[in-house]
Amino acid sequence: MIAQIKAVFPEAVNKDYDGNRLDLTVNKEAVPSVLLYLKDSMGFRHLSHIAYVDWIEQGEFELVYILWSPLDKVKLYVHTRINRENPVIENIDMIWRQANTYEREIREMLGIEFTGLVAPDEFILEDWDDIPPFRKDFDTLEYVNRTFWHRPGREDAQDVRSTISERSGEEIPDFAKKYSR
Amino acid sequence: MREKATTIYLGPQHPGITGNMMVRLKVIGDTIVSAQTEVGYLHRAFEKLQERRNWLQGFTLMCRFCVPESDPMENVYARSVEAIDGREVPERGKYIRVMVLELARIATQLMWYAGQNGSLGLYTMGQWSIGDRDYILDLFEELTGGRVYHMYQWPGGVRRDLPEGFTDKVLRTLDYLEKRLKDYDDLMFANSIFQKRTQGVGIVPKENIIEHGVVGPVLRGAGIRSDIRIDEPYEVYDKLDFEIPTQEGSDIWARALVRRAEVHQSIRIIRQVIDQMPSGEYFNKFPNPLKWIVPAGDAYVRVESGRGEVGFYAVSDGTIHPRRMHLRGAAYVHAITLLESILPGQNIADVSAIMNSLGTCAPEIER
Amino acid sequence: MYNDKNSKKIVETIQNWARSHSIWVLAYGTGCGAIEISPTMTSRYDAERLGFRGAATPRQADVMLITGYLTVKTVKRVVRVYEQMQSPKYVVGFGSCTINGGMYYDSYNTINLLDRYLPVDVYINGCMPRPEAVLAGLSKLQQIIREGNANGAEKYLENLAWYKENQRKIAPNWIAKAPDLNW
Repeated sequence: MIAQIKAVFPEAVNKDYDGNRLDLTVNKEAVPSVLLYLKDSMGFRHLSHIAYVDWIEQGEFELVYILWSPLDKVKLYVHTRINRENPVIENIDMIWRQANTYEREIREMLGIEFTGLVAPDEFILEDWDDIPPFRKDFDTLEYVNRTFWHRPGREDAQDVRSTISERSGEEIPDFAKKYSR
Repeated sequence: MREKATTIYLGPQHPGITGNMMVRLKVIGDTIVSAQTEVGYLHRAFEKLQERRNWLQGFTLMCRFCVPESDPMENVYARSVEAIDGREVPERGKYIRVMVLELARIATQLMWYAGQNGSLGLYTMGQWSIGDRDYILDLFEELTGGRVYHMYQWPGGVRRDLPEGFTDKVLRTLDYLEKRLKDYDDLMFANSIFQKRTQGVGIVPKENIIEHGVVGPVLRGAGIRSDIRIDEPYEVYDKLDFEIPTQEGSDIWARALVRRAEVHQSIRIIRQVIDQMPSGEYFNKFPNPLKWIVPAGDAYVRVESGRGEVGFYAVSDGTIHPRRMHLRGAAYVHAITLLESILPGQNIADVSAIMNSLGTCAPEIER
Repeated sequence: MYNDKNSKKIVETIQNWARSHSIWVLAYGTGCGAIEISPTMTSRYDAERLGFRGAATPRQADVMLITGYLTVKTVKRVVRVYEQMQSPKYVVGFGSCTINGGMYYDSYNTINLLDRYLPVDVYINGCMPRPEAVLAGLSKLQQIIREGNANGAEKYLENLAWYKENQRKIAPNWIAKAPDLNW
């Protein structure tokens, strides 16, 4: 099976982590036709996952389509890279219906536009007016400090047991002494 | 006279819904015309939080992905870090992990008994099965220290060894549970009301079931024999002897029979594990966690939980913080695309039963 | 008839005693902690002997358990449900996430302090709290009701402007669409 894939895609690489894993890198324009060929003619009928990674230093997003062949028991990873300035890729809704859900989430969390995707706008976040939150330039702690409050009284980060024992005059028990500062 | 469709919100505050999610239904009379799922009430942005923590702190967040069944998530995190880092787990650690996973599977199916029957009106089953599930949670509490969130399996093995006399307690609990399973059969499966309400309801058409991304008992209830434990054996499943039950029919009744058989198989697996357990090391130590650098690479690891296939994609770029951790929950497509396509034509009263039977667990859809 | 202060006090005491022994819990699992409610209510830890049972709608419920973290989307629904409940009503904060944000203190979608948005009567800490801790917290709620100190609903109406301003800070579009307090 691995030999067959290598015959069609000579640039497929075999990484030995699990023994039955193959990696393939394609251009983003070729993604729908490659996936359709893999699904119909080579037996990779099960789409397990569409993962997304933000490589901000290289200025690109990466999408990984992870396919599984139930008869030959081989996992195939299809990597593509998308430019960060103008992220557009075609959707694969008609190949697997479940891709609709994955693409809705990617559109909301990373801001990639899928041409031809028919789905309601909001999926997980409601009334969100900032940049897409899973990009690396979104700082979540700074957003929290701006919008929510923290409980006062823990800014100096005192040790809980010693503070309570000082305030109430009780002894720290023996088994806890080695954990308190 | 043409009838107009009304919109009903089977909303977040509802006694019959599995977790905090909403289904927007358009109905005419009692029959559903179209459905739309809405999630997002439980989104905590786990994966963004894990990028701020180092490799060991991330493991404390992992078990909270799916609330009823937290052990497969820890397992899949540990195995993915081991795959990127190249660590080996000693044999005893693997056997203990299998035992913990199978106990978690039994606990999940017992909780499913309560949910499925509660949605049809048989509340006695909930009282029985959640009471029995507590005995398994007692075992977990003795082993790991927590009832619901265990934080026990970490990269390199497990956290501590089995205490004295633990295996005897496990065997006694399993004997007790086997006796109770007969009572459940009498009350639930031999009950003609349960049979009439579940046969022929919630049928998932078989033509494009794999292409829809269906996993777990829903797939096995349609007659397809597919399970990660035999397709891609992990831990020590290739040394154990068990069966994968399948049923034809693909309705709620078939899936209920599949889940019932899985409990029996899990009990069988745990007994074999206790017989075959070797002695020795249980943990392969990792370096100082504050300075632990995992080499660059990526890995996608899968495990079979009580509800289906859980996948985890981890990327490392050679620092002490992970680059990306992305989880695929078992019910990610069951609750959204699959539910919206099988609900038209059903009654409103069956929606809750169908959702319980597909195994939807809202926290793991939106993480 | 008997409208003087002493009679009012006796009537109030009897009412509070009766209320504390029959508390109906709203069926709404808002977060993680909902998994420890079913063991508490079923046969092993049996909260029904103290008078707690489930209620299906907010109009029939007395107490709302906020089990764990609340996301911004859920806060809007929870506030709406709270305002639909009839007085006297109580709120119990369950888990460490209601106290100071818990494990998700740096998440952009979860709130950190619950009592800025709703008046809370009792906090139960833990992650998860055990069923025994839940029963202890609910008994404390019963004790507070009997003493006559469970006045979260009045506190909400007195400081309505402050609560609404905090809610508007996280959900600006919602407050403009919601009707006033006359449900």
